[in-house]
Amino acid sequence: MGQTLRRYFALYRSFLSHNLKNEMMYRVNFAINVGLDIFFTTVNVIFFAILYGNIETVGGWTFHQTLILVGTVGIVREMAYLTFRKGFLELGEYVRTGNFDVMLTTPMSTASHLAFRHVSLTESLGEGLMGLVLVGYGFSHLDQATWISIPFYVLMLFNSLAIYYGFCLMVSSLVFWLIKSQELNTVIYYFMNTARYPRDIYHGLGKAFFTFLIPSSLIATTPATLLTGKIDAPLMALSLFVAAGLLSLGLFIWTRSLNHYGSASS
Amino acid sequence: MQKYWTVFRVNWQNALQYRGPTAISILGNLLHILVLLYLWNAIYQSEQSLGDYSLSDLITYYILQLLINSMVLSYISWQIGTEIREGSFSNFLIKPVNYLHYWFTINLSGKLFEGLMISVVGLIMAGVLADYITLPDNLTTALHFAFAMILGAILAFEFDFAIGILAFWLVQIDSFKYMLQYGMFFLAGALLPLDLFPMLFQQIAHALPFRFMVYFPIRIFLGKETQPYEGFMIAGLWIVGLYFILQFGLKRGITRYEAAGK
Repeated sequence: MGQTLRRYFALYRSFLSHNLKNEMMYRVNFAINVGLDIFFTTVNVIFFAILYGNIETVGGWTFHQTLILVGTVGIVREMAYLTFRKGFLELGEYVRTGNFDVMLTTPMSTASHLAFRHVSLTESLGEGLMGLVLVGYGFSHLDQATWISIPFYVLMLFNSLAIYYGFCLMVSSLVFWLIKSQELNTVIYYFMNTARYPRDIYHGLGKAFFTFLIPSSLIATTPATLLTGKIDAPLMALSLFVAAGLLSLGLFIWTRSLNHYGSASS
Repeated sequence: MQKYWTVFRVNWQNALQYRGPTAISILGNLLHILVLLYLWNAIYQSEQSLGDYSLSDLITYYILQLLINSMVLSYISWQIGTEIREGSFSNFLIKPVNYLHYWFTINLSGKLFEGLMISVVGLIMAGVLADYITLPDNLTTALHFAFAMILGAILAFEFDFAIGILAFWLVQIDSFKYMLQYGMFFLAGALLPLDLFPMLFQQIAHALPFRFMVYFPIRIFLGKETQPYEGFMIAGLWIVGLYFILQFGLKRGITRYEAAGK
């Protein structure tokens, strides 16, 4: 187990350094990506600023607490680009052309190879940095913020990353039937976009739906709740449970779906 | 006319072939709207309200926004940009079709197809949420709304076409296009009704024509715009004006065209 982990860590490092060198070559591209991210995050903030210009709270969340939610989504997105997201964006292309063969035959797990293939630091860096700023700004304006909540926050960020990965695996498995991943990626994009609304707006069936089926309500709300000073143990436990369940289910569906791969043009 | 009818038919069949992906992207959009409905509900449950909108007004606003996104807003600039950049635009230089009219036809068939699919979804949603829907109480309002949708669709196409042919002047502009498109939709009222904006922004948005794409038709539907004739006229003037500007721009663009890769 330890040996496998070490091997994958080494593999990740070599993929990362290879991709970083690649990204460094296109500096203008990098600047544009960052600019674009900052633009979109700003529009999101403006959305909430206008909303909070008309009302006091949303599901009990104040404006500053909501900024933490928006920022958290940005941070989780950047973490995802650093670990797996881009491979899934390109998956449709690999499957359509038959290049996916390579990932089936290399001596590492297919899901990991796909994930590490294009780890990217810069793709979502702007949103990640903006995220840090927003979380920091929101945090400094809280009434009952304590430093103790920060380690819990970071821990739950990784848990959210796991939920995101599980969901990605599950949805992307459809690619072997559709041979196109653009629309699947749109669904995943909306999944993350809807994560910035507080979980407390849902009730009844909707709450169950956005917790178990499409668990977007946990991605930002769980870490942000902890950071705002509430040690909400049931929510934490629920998030950990959903992450474990979704990861297992995602991997199961993914492995099963691989059988449906047609290996085009070979 | 005959040739454009053929373009329309071919593109319709193309769209039919990809109905699976279209359905999935509608699903994604639906997800977003669903979350927003919960958001408004939570706000109104805590006895707060937004502007002069009732909860059912707002829910209607976003269901209509879902329809408008499929039936009115145009996304063809991506293909136009690619055609110009990669050189397949050359094919049009020797064909007896007007590039603007050609894309208008493609957009029209695409929007009608998506519109048909989304209408089914919209009707189901309206059925489920029947208690929360504000319907027009007379035929005139309904007709005004339909007319405003048509004007909005033409305007949206023209602006998107303008963004597309920017590719004659700027080579790698995908990100820039994203920003323009998103900024435009924001000022159109696609994310939030414009009268919730701070005063200064409201005035800016009101002076710009983008509001005719989303905000204006929805306001008519909600019965908050009973005398829309002035709006119709301004939108009509923009449409005609833009038409000439685009034809002119296209002509200028062609002289800049380098037929890359051909």
